[in-house]
Amino acid sequence: MRLLQFILIFLIFLFLIEAVKYLADFSDYIIPPFNEIATMILTKWRDFLLPSMNTLFVAIGGHLLAIGLAAIVGFLARGTSIFSNMIKTAAFNLQAYPIVAIAPLVFIFLGDGLTSRLLIATLICYFPLLLNFLGIFSEPVVEVEHFFKQTGRLDSGTEIIIRIFENLDKMITVVAGSATLAMVGTIVAEFLAATTGIGYVIRKALYQNNLAAILSSLLYIGLCSSLYLMTVEGLGRLLRKRLIL
Amino acid sequence: MELAAQDISFGYKGAEYPLFYKLNLKIDTPGFYSLFGFSGCGKSTLAKIIAGSLHPTHGKIATQDINTILLCYNTERLPGWLSIGRHLESVLPKDSFLKDELDNFINTFGLKHLLNKKFFRLSMGQKNRVNLVRYLLQEFDVLICDEALANVDEPSRNWILSVIKDRFCSEKIILYISHNIEEVCFFSKKIFILPSGGNPIGRLIEIEGMDGIKKNGHQDVEGHLQSLILEVLKAASSNQM
Repeated sequence: MRLLQFILIFLIFLFLIEAVKYLADFSDYIIPPFNEIATMILTKWRDFLLPSMNTLFVAIGGHLLAIGLAAIVGFLARGTSIFSNMIKTAAFNLQAYPIVAIAPLVFIFLGDGLTSRLLIATLICYFPLLLNFLGIFSEPVVEVEHFFKQTGRLDSGTEIIIRIFENLDKMITVVAGSATLAMVGTIVAEFLAATTGIGYVIRKALYQNNLAAILSSLLYIGLCSSLYLMTVEGLGRLLRKRLIL
Repeated sequence: MELAAQDISFGYKGAEYPLFYKLNLKIDTPGFYSLFGFSGCGKSTLAKIIAGSLHPTHGKIATQDINTILLCYNTERLPGWLSIGRHLESVLPKDSFLKDELDNFINTFGLKHLLNKKFFRLSMGQKNRVNLVRYLLQEFDVLICDEALANVDEPSRNWILSVIKDRFCSEKIILYISHNIEEVCFFSKKIFILPSGGNPIGRLIEIEGMDGIKKNGHQDVEGHLQSLILEVLKAASSNQM
């Protein structure tokens, strides 16, 4: 369903671009005709699908790392001790820096390989996850925790499990939402300096002023993102079904 | 065994007046006691202070031969990832005889058909019963039940209260908070009343409940219950300082 929705939106987008082309009388060099774009999408699919898959796998890796990192930092920063407050302050302050601005530093120190792409993807989707996890981990669910607290059974593990479970829907939504951000982060990284992935393909197409290639890339990015989003949402639904129902 | 609230003063931040001022309460024998008062008079706050969940600004809770005070209330929820049966088993203290006790409570409280269900599937009354059972299975000296059976139907509630009284009140203190004046009067050994007119409340009114009166050999139980209800209502609406 999500895939169909995306394809429909993409077609509307293409239609609008073509409408602008004919209304403003742009040349085929600036905006290629519909059949040229369609031919590129259908015949050169391998040139776009494989880099998109490459980007998707890096995005998944970055997303998983971000979830793990946000969970660990959220867990450590959830209390009211000086240590927790220090982590909280550092996490909030770091958020003020745009990751895209820091990205060149990452490429300088780590090169233009997989590590840089992974790190930037992680950092871009990490902060929304952290803010959400921190909120969930620090907010007591008094109605459930009271018994465990009264009877001396409320260790930090039980506390976290209760809070995650009680906010499961919110967590699934945020994790699914941040999946798109991970994809964005990876593409941004590739666009900036990497030598693989669909972001790199777009950068090359930009230098050649090849709008058909850019639009084809957008389609394959969208398909991969939708597929990943569908998978994450499906896993979330499955988890919810297994735990709650 | 003694539980005493001594000169308790307490007020919520930002409130115009403190809620309690040098309030005293003393229970020195096991039994079924009640705390009564109209909505907003501070029953739950006092319960939390006694249970140690809230700290008074002045005064203290003194105990003798009391190790554990538990407080349960009606809006509590069980963790949703476990079935009722598995949760009850998981919170069972590590004594073998308590497994039999759990089975007894499951039968007495009519929970057998609920054991495989998740908490959110239960009715409000069933939720109250399940919640109370897990507290009754714990080791405690004082159990404060703050509207713990508020959603349970009257016949079941009376039955449950009778069971609790028979099973626990010879050696433990049950402090029952309810708006149901009839059951408060009928089951309690002593009723502690928080009068609603005080700003702050400086004194609890103590009235002997039917439990004690029955033992003293009263014949006209129904008539006495009615007069006791009137007496409690009058005390609850009085302006005490």
